[in-house]
Amino acid sequence: MRRTYAVAEAALREMARRRVVLAILLLLPLAFYLSRRGDHLGQSIRFVCLGLGWALSTAALFSGSAGRAIEPRLRLSGYSGRHLVGGRLLALWTIGLLLSTPYFLLVRFDQHDVRYGAIALIMALTVAVSAPFGLALSAILPRELEGTLVLLVVVGLQMMVDPADTAARALPYWFTREIGTYAIDHTDRGYLDRGLLHGVLAALVLTAVVTVAWRVRQGPRSHLEFVPLR
Amino acid sequence: MTDDAWLAALTGELRRHQVGPDLTAHVVAETAAHLRDSGEPAVRAFGTPREYAAAVADSVGGPDPSRAARPVGPVRLEVRGVTKRYRRRPVLTGVDLTVRAGQVAAVVGANGAGKSTFLRVCAGLTRPDRGTVRVYGRLGYCPQDGGTSEFLFPDEHFALVGAGRGLSRPDARREGRAYAAALDWTPPRSTQARHLSGGTRQKLNLVLARLGAPDVLLLDEPYQGFDRGTYLDFWHEVWRWRDAGTAIVVVTHLLNQLDRVDQVLDLTRAEAAA
Repeated sequence: MRRTYAVAEAALREMARRRVVLAILLLLPLAFYLSRRGDHLGQSIRFVCLGLGWALSTAALFSGSAGRAIEPRLRLSGYSGRHLVGGRLLALWTIGLLLSTPYFLLVRFDQHDVRYGAIALIMALTVAVSAPFGLALSAILPRELEGTLVLLVVVGLQMMVDPADTAARALPYWFTREIGTYAIDHTDRGYLDRGLLHGVLAALVLTAVVTVAWRVRQGPRSHLEFVPLR
Repeated sequence: MTDDAWLAALTGELRRHQVGPDLTAHVVAETAAHLRDSGEPAVRAFGTPREYAAAVADSVGGPDPSRAARPVGPVRLEVRGVTKRYRRRPVLTGVDLTVRAGQVAAVVGANGAGKSTFLRVCAGLTRPDRGTVRVYGRLGYCPQDGGTSEFLFPDEHFALVGAGRGLSRPDARREGRAYAAALDWTPPRSTQARHLSGGTRQKLNLVLARLGAPDVLLLDEPYQGFDRGTYLDFWHEVWRWRDAGTAIVVVTHLLNQLDRVDQVLDLTRAEAAA
């Protein structure tokens, strides 16, 4: 675990030093929230969750890209994919939880007659999904611009497509609409169960994609054999 | 500059020119005696320490000849039949290399001859089309660029890489700072890597490759951006690591050090032969 924590600590330090980026990340969900607060309180909750997702996945994308320069060296220095991917995910999840907390408190004190526990669940799942989503994009797409454009498309689609459409379930944040409906409109528990299942599956699948992409890019090479010295 | 400071600088310059410790002590003692007897300032009598050391090194015939008798150890890096094509262009064709503990191999060749590709194949960062690489022990790698994190301080780099090597944070920091001092560099405590000059960042890169004393060191033109003094310090360190039993592969296009390495792999010739 020491190596995983070392990677997580380094990733947290890297992100903490990008102060302008952090400020934008912090304010982006607020802009989403305020955009619909005047006319539709419930919709503003859904939007703030999507804003969180966008901000965190963008942070993960840039964090993954920043790690590209040093990760080959770390791999040769004794780190495995478990340490490198796990450490970066740990850092991003920590930042995600820190970022989500003020927004949960905002909803808690600004909105009434909603299920707060379900909203906390949406935010937790959003954090869980966004970190591997951004890292997966950084692993698959070598340039940040391409990854950012894909993120833009995904979040845009997430806002526009009809959540009842089957294809909408392929989007990583579909669960926010389902659990959001349960939390805001007080629908039956089926919405919560479907959303929870979707969120957990999305997080697992995206984490698997990150792991596989890492192995393809930097995993063990069949031509290279290390013979330990005793 | 006082005579004492001048003599200290001369000692450092002679070391950089690979003059052995006995001969260095002798030259410095002789020079000090001359200065004492003549009463002349050192700069007027001998010029700058750098000029005088170069003249001494020339007159005694280069590096310490006792190095030639060094024993070499067991095989540490074994490369067999490495072939690599980029699209349809062959870059490496059946390249072999064996480096033993206590040896330095220089990889030379024209631009595009595949020097960096060869090192990346050895480090497992690039897959060859054919061939095998066997590394005995632990591997350190210094890329031509990159290899550092833009937003971390040097000490944080030492701690991060050191943790992978099993070093505690204080040990990694101590070791990193000691290697940095050998390159005449004191790492700043709170300067992010992106704010270091190109040459200083390469020093950080080199120190990170050496951290944890790996058995095999792969260095891809690590001296880019170094000033002359640091360049000489770098080669001095290479000889020191070699004497300590490390197997070293250095990619270089500077031929003036080739007479001091144990073997030369010329990828230009390999490509032409293919």
